[in-house]
Formats: sequence, C-alpha cells, structure tokens
Amino acid sequence: MLALIAPAAVTMALFQVVPIILGANASFRDWTLYDPKKTWVGLKHYIEVITDPAFFGLAIPNTLLFLVLSVSLSLTFGLGLALLLNRSFVGQSVVRTIVLLPLMVAPVIASIMMRWMFNDQFGIVNVVLEGVGLPPVAWLAYRWTTMMVIVLADVWLWTPWFAVLLLAGLQSLPKEPFEAAAIDAAGPWRVFRSLTLPMLRPVIVVCVVIRSIDAFRVFDQVWVISGGGPARTTEMFSIYAYVEAFQRMNFGKGSAAALVGGAVIVVFGLVLYRLLNRAVEVSK
Amino acid sequence: MTVATLDTRTPMPHKSERGFFSLMAPGARRAFFYLFVIGVGFIIAFPVLWLVLTSLRPASGMFYVHRGTEFTLDNFFEVFENRIVIKAYINSAIIATLATVLSLGITVTSGYMLSRFRGPIASGWFSIIYVFRCVPYISWVLPLYILTQNLGVYDTYLGLLLPHIAVHICFFSWLMKGFFDGIDPSMEYAALIDGCTRWGAFVRVALPSAVPGLAALAVLCWLWTWNEFLFALLLTSHQTPVLTVVMAQFVHELGIEWNLMSATAVMALGPALLITFFGQKYVITGLKI
Amino acid sequence: MKGWTAHLRAFVAAGAMGVSALMASSAASAVEIKIGYMKHPIQEASIAIMEKWAAKNGVTIIKIPMAYEIFMEKVTATLTSGGDQYDIIWHNDDWGQLWKNWLTPTNDVPGMDTVLKQTVDVAFLNTDGKPTVVPMAHTFGVFYYRTDLIDEAHLPKTWDELSTISQKLQQEEKVKWGFVGSMAMNHSWFSWFWANWTNNCDVLAPAYERDNKVLAANGWKPMIADKCSQQVVEYWWDAINKTKISPPAMISYTRNDANAIFQAGDAAFTVADLTLYGQFNDPKKSKVAGKINIGFLPLGPSRTEPVAWNDIWGWAIPKGVPAERKEAAKKMLGAMLLDKEGQIDLWKATGGPPPNTEVWKTLAETDPLFRRADEVVFKVMKVIAGGYYTPEWPAIHKAYNDGVVGALNGSREDIPKKLEAAAPAIHAAAARTN
Repeated sequence: MLALIAPAAVTMALFQVVPIILGANASFRDWTLYDPKKTWVGLKHYIEVITDPAFFGLAIPNTLLFLVLSVSLSLTFGLGLALLLNRSFVGQSVVRTIVLLPLMVAPVIASIMMRWMFNDQFGIVNVVLEGVGLPPVAWLAYRWTTMMVIVLADVWLWTPWFAVLLLAGLQSLPKEPFEAAAIDAAGPWRVFRSLTLPMLRPVIVVCVVIRSIDAFRVFDQVWVISGGGPARTTEMFSIYAYVEAFQRMNFGKGSAAALVGGAVIVVFGLVLYRLLNRAVEVSK
Repeated sequence: MTVATLDTRTPMPHKSERGFFSLMAPGARRAFFYLFVIGVGFIIAFPVLWLVLTSLRPASGMFYVHRGTEFTLDNFFEVFENRIVIKAYINSAIIATLATVLSLGITVTSGYMLSRFRGPIASGWFSIIYVFRCVPYISWVLPLYILTQNLGVYDTYLGLLLPHIAVHICFFSWLMKGFFDGIDPSMEYAALIDGCTRWGAFVRVALPSAVPGLAALAVLCWLWTWNEFLFALLLTSHQTPVLTVVMAQFVHELGIEWNLMSATAVMALGPALLITFFGQKYVITGLKI
Repeated sequence: MKGWTAHLRAFVAAGAMGVSALMASSAASAVEIKIGYMKHPIQEASIAIMEKWAAKNGVTIIKIPMAYEIFMEKVTATLTSGGDQYDIIWHNDDWGQLWKNWLTPTNDVPGMDTVLKQTVDVAFLNTDGKPTVVPMAHTFGVFYYRTDLIDEAHLPKTWDELSTISQKLQQEEKVKWGFVGSMAMNHSWFSWFWANWTNNCDVLAPAYERDNKVLAANGWKPMIADKCSQQVVEYWWDAINKTKISPPAMISYTRNDANAIFQAGDAAFTVADLTLYGQFNDPKKSKVAGKINIGFLPLGPSRTEPVAWNDIWGWAIPKGVPAERKEAAKKMLGAMLLDKEGQIDLWKATGGPPPNTEVWKTLAETDPLFRRADEVVFKVMKVIAGGYYTPEWPAIHKAYNDGVVGALNGSREDIPKKLEAAAPAIHAAAARTN
C-alpha cells in the first residue's frame, strides 16, 4: 500500500514539504530578505499579523467576498455551459474548443489583457459603452468596479474548468429517470430542479471545495489588475503576504501571514466540505 | 460554424419544451439556439480574439487596438529573431509533456490507493496532501529557489519539473480517486481470486478503465504547465528558458512591450489549441468524479 | 493498451536522456563573466560596450536576462544565500542600500572619478563609505510637452498654468486631456513625487533631505499631512474631478497606461523618464513622434525655483565572486566607463545620459536634446534623488502611496483628515531603519 504512494510522497516531501517547513521556520525568525539574521523571535510575526486590522479586517473579508462571488458565478456559468454542451448539435467540437479557450491562455497574460480592456481611455469596454451612447466608466478607479473586474477575470478563467467537470458528471448520469420525466411531460426547468441538480450534487461539492481552496489563494489576477488598489481596498490575503514578504522585504512576517491564511483555508475547506456534504445527505 | 451548416437531422433533446419556443417553427427555434451558442462562444472567445488582434498591431497601436487599421506581422518576426524563443518553445513543450507524464504516473497509484484502501494510512495521506495544498506559495517559493540551488538542479529540466509534479499531487490524487471510485472493484477482486497480484489487478483491470480520466487530466495538466509563470520565473535562467519567462521579459522597469508580449502569447496559443482540439473529446467525457 | 504503456515508457526514457544531456552541457570554459540584467535598451547598449572590451581580452560574456517582476527578489535571495549565479548584476538606486553589504566596493574601478559623485554617494555607499556601484546611465523623469500644441515660450511654469493651458487646449478640441501621469503603487514619481518636489514638499521631512542621519534626527517625520502635501493631493483631485485636465481613472494608472495615452496623442503633457524619449519619438511606436520636447517641471504654489531629479542605473559585483573574475569584471566595467565613443553611442541609441561626465560637454555642443536635458536637469541647482536610501524605502513608498491614493479617492473635504490618518504608517515604516 505504501509503495503506491511512495513516488508521490518522496517528490512531495522534497519539493513541497521541505520548502514549506523552511518557510515556516522563517516565520518564527527575524528574516528580512536583504539581511536574514535568523534570530528566533517566537510568535512575534504571528501576533503582528493577527492583530493587524488590515489582515482580519480587510484582506481576509476581501478574499472571502472574492471567493464567494467567483466560485458561485463560475459554478453557475459552468453549469449552464455544461447543460448546453450536453446536447448534441452540429459544430459541437468547435464550441467545446472555444469553451476551453480560457484554459489555453496563461492567467497572467489574460489578466493583463483584462486590465487593458477595462482601461477608461483605450479599453474596448468603454469604447463599446460610448458606441452605444452610454457614459464611460473609470472601472479601475473605484473599489467595487475594480473588484468586479477581478472577479470577472477569475470567472472567465475558471468557468471552463467547472463546465468540463460538470459535463463529465452530466454524461455519467443514468438515462432512465430522464426518460421517465419525458414521458410525464415534465418541463425542462422541473427536470433540471428535481433530477439533474440533485444527481450532480456530489460532483458539485468536490468542484466547489477544490476551487474554493484555490480561489482563496488568488494572486496573479489581483496583482496584475489592481495590485490590491486603489489604496488597499481590493487587497486579498495573498497580496498582503506578498507585500510583506517581497515588497516590504520582511520574509518572516510575510511567511507568517501566508501560513495564517493557509490555516484559515484548511478550516474553511473542511467546514465547506462538511456543510455541502450534509446538504447532499439531506436532499437525499 | 454558421447557421447555414444546420443539419436537420440533429436530434434535439427536451422535446417537451413548452411556452414561447414551442410557438415557433422548429427551424426558428434552431436558429435561436445557434444564435445563442454563437453569442456565448463570442463572449468566451473575446479576450483571446482581442489578444490576437493586439498581436497584429504595430507598437504604435498596441493599446488603442480599436483605433487605426494598420495591421502587421512584424511583432511575430521580431519575436522569432530572438534565438532564445525557439529554444524556449522546445523547452516549454518538453517540460509540459514530461510534467504531464510524470505527474500522472505517480499520482495514478496514489489515487488508486485512496480509492481502494481504508484506514489510518489512507486517511493520513489524504489529510497530508490536503493540508499541504492549502499552504500559499508565498511562504515557500523562496526556500524552494534556494533548495533547488543547493541540490544543484537550479536552471535544469529536473529543477523545474519536480516542483511542478509536487504541486499537482494533491489535486490529481483527489480526482484520480474519483475515477477509481467510479470503477466497479468487483472485477479486480475476481482477478485477485484468479491469482493476480494486487499490482497485476491494478495494471490489468483498474488502470485501463481509468484511461479516459487520465487522458482528460493529461490535457489539463499539459495546459497548466505550459502556461505556468511563477515556478518558471523563479527556477529557470539562461540555460533552460521557457516561453512564459520569455514573455515576462517584455516587461521592464520603464514599460511593457505589449505588442511583442502578446505576439509571444499568441504563438504559445498554437500548441495549446492543438492539444485541446484533439484532446477535448477525452476532457469532456473523461473527467468523471 | 499495450501500445499506450510502451509509448509511456519510451517517453520517460527520452525525457531522462534529455535531462542528463542538458546537465552535462552546462560545463564551464575559460574566463566567463555572467551578467544578470533586465532586458532594456539601455542595459543592452551598456553590455554592448563591455562586449567590445571582452572580445579583445579573451573574456566571454554570458547574458542572463531576468524578468523585472522578480529581478530584485531573485538577486537578493541569491546574494544572501551565497549563490554563485552572477558576476555582474544590474544595480538601481532603489535597492542601493539593500545590497550594500553583499557587494564589492567599486572605488578602484578605473573611471569612477569621471562620474557625477552625488548620484553615487546618495544611495550606493556601504557601511565603510565606499561606493558599490559602477554607473551605466542616468535615469530620471522630465516634463514632456507636445510641440505641435504649444511652443517653448508658452510652457506652463506653474501648476495653475498647467491647468489653464490644458483646459484651453481641451476646449479648443486640440487634445483630449491636458496632463497624464501614473499614480499607482511603484509609479508614484510621475504624479505624486514630482508634484511634491515642485512644492517644497517630500515624503519625509525635511524636504529633499536624503541623509538618513538627518532624517533620523528629525524623527522620521512624514510630510504627508503637511500643507504642501495637502496642496498636492488637492491639485490632483481637481485635475481629475474639477478642472478635468486628467483622465478619471488616472488614480489607477501605471506608467504603461499613461505612456500609452501620451503616445496615442491624447494628452498634451506628461512626466516620464527621459530614457523614454527614444520610444516617444519613434514613428513605429508613437503617434506623437517628431512632435515632442522636454521642459522644466511646473512649480507648485510654495516654490519659485526650478527643481530636477537625477538618479543612476548601474552595475555591481557581488562580494562572493572569485578574485579572478572579480578582477576581470572591474576591468571590464572600467573600460565601459572610459569608452567615450561607446558612451556617446549609448546616448544616441537610447536617450540615456551616459555616466562619464567628460563626454557631456561634447554632447551638449552637438546634440540639441542633450543640450535641453543639460538645461532642465543637469544645470538646475536643486537636484533631488528619486527614492529614500534605507532598506525600508519600499515599505515607506507603499504606505505613502496608499495614503495619497486613499485621500484622493473620496470627497475633497476629507483629504486633510485622510492624510492625517495615513501619516503614522509612513512613520512606522521609516522608523524601522537602523
């Protein structure tokens, strides 16, 4: 049994666990990037992070808000696309490839593209708005419009992922209940509500949990699109940790912030998994 | 794909639709459906189309893409003049392929183990991969950089490959567990009774049934590694340049050479498109969890 | 399925061979100097000067370009962990104090007596007071204007004139915006900082002071809530919301956004690096090519004398480099400094003023742009260094930028209150300097 996981365990131990332990070690030490004194400071960095109102008062709530918006929207759109692709129609393989397009572009490039598209002067979004007679919007100048652009970028990047997993789930559903529903002349909405959705729930649970863990650590999109701005208003927890570790050069504190955030994700993921699973049990 | 290519024999499910759409002739309904599909496809594809359009603009129009009608292939020529780009192209392809093969190779057994065994070791392994996946990169990329230097694998294929594989372990094992959960274990038990070893039962019975899932994951894994930035930026240098690093070098302190960067990104899109187009059949049908 | 596993095995074998072949190919040859740098025309041109010397002296240069995004982090980690990746690295005043203890002193590099001493001394001295940089070029922002919209005699001399002239040009529909410049984090120079400097203002008191001892004696006091700084924020608030000489989303701009708008011909004025002159003036890259020039920075209400900003980019040699290569690197950098023809070529090709001041006279006599730069920057009495030279500078800058951007992003009445609230974070960051 151990032989089955040995190669994975060794690779992970060397290239993930060891660096993580080294990073965790730094979080207990006076460890600036430019002058790593490495003297033991105990929980100093952790206390600083936990008592910093910008961490639990700003970065974590922003991250959770982003997570909820991004995951629920990409789940909704992904489900819609999966239902669409579950029909057979001419040109289906082309449409499937198009749906997978966002997975083919590097997220950093896609984020830069989004940033330009939402520029108030040369962004295509405002050009279109002005073209149809609407006033242009300074998207990236305000907190909530900036948050919207970040969420949009993330939804665009991750909807295909949901679509793919949910479509596979849809295709593995048994045919009989649907045939029975067709005989009963049930409307499409009722079929979806009372058949498709309950049967897909286990797949949805796993997708949502895995995606939530990753969405919690979102970095690229936020860093490229807003850098956490204007003035920290869209700062997520990973930006907080990055700024501490690499912009302010305090690797010890940045590492501590990252690990506190990591602990929040572990708990959050477990709670989410339990809650969703219970919802599935109840619905049965 | 256009409305003109409509095939009248296309089976349309949900024959019981009522209301607005049932009032229309079947042909109109189908036209609406295709208009909808084209609309959705356009919205999804738009940022990529815009990227392609940007890459065809001269530097003077790389931001104001909509203003002016000059289009040129110069960006692509300029990118290709840089000899390192070809090398990076090949390196990226090799690394993405190797990372895919090796990640799948070592996680398939791990996923099988998670699916077929119960007990403290299995649940312990699951907890470990779950917890370590939750640790944000920021706390450990720097130690990783120093570690690869100390191990002498910095700026080599191996030094980039192994961390990639390591971070894929959790997610892939989790999905693979799902594939094997969906495969009826009674066949394996039958094989075991017939005198197969556990390993034999796995290789001959379970593995072939999991191949569609593996193929799907392979496509996703290839795309992720191909497009990965962080590890590539940190763990490679002049000896093992990869495409994403070449792209990142178009950003310097005084600005961004977006025309060249987008041209490189569009170039990188080619192989990704090929892989996806031929692999999408597996991706769609294989990822059952 | 058999074919599938066979393919897999072949693949793995091929991969393993590839890996071992690659590792074997990285064996060393004669004297090799590895240069870690950022791909930028100035750095490429400076390396080109060194390559001339290297070819004559049997030295091989290995160029290791690095992405700007992680340059400082990666090099810092290499220096502190004793990695032997680079013999020469790109050095910048922003991290002058960060690396000072990890670099070889450069006082004995030939030609160091030809450079502008103050630009080296302000940021690059180690704890023994020795320089740790060899300058490659001067980099600083200047005020750009459009010659097709305004002539030199009528340039705005004050902020108020900048607003009125811009509004006039906008009303006449000659141009969409008056001034465009970047405001987001790490791009503060092109709006916030230059406005501070032209208003007897700065991030830390006393204004323009860069000596850490003086700043420390003054208690690392932020100036963000001072009257002069309030005027700066109010000016930009008006520019965006009232006089509307600047685009509404300017608060989110990096220099890419600002440069894009200026290069598209949608703004009359900008502040940007002089080294971008070549790009702005290149018809392939810019719609305003042939229609730009540089001038003095417009002055705020509190100041009457012009100010200028002057910093350098340079090269540095890590302490851990073996003696033989260290010696070769020093000789090569010295040859770069003393190659007058090369220095002039660097200016012509890039618009980066060369470090060897002996060629300045020649350039001022022959080159109109250099003459202009000489006038608006080099000859100005009050010259300011762009950053603060403590390892805490990135933290100070971030706190300052968050403060002013936060104050700008609200109602005009709240500005003083918000600036007051932002001051402690700047002080806290600065006071960590030891």
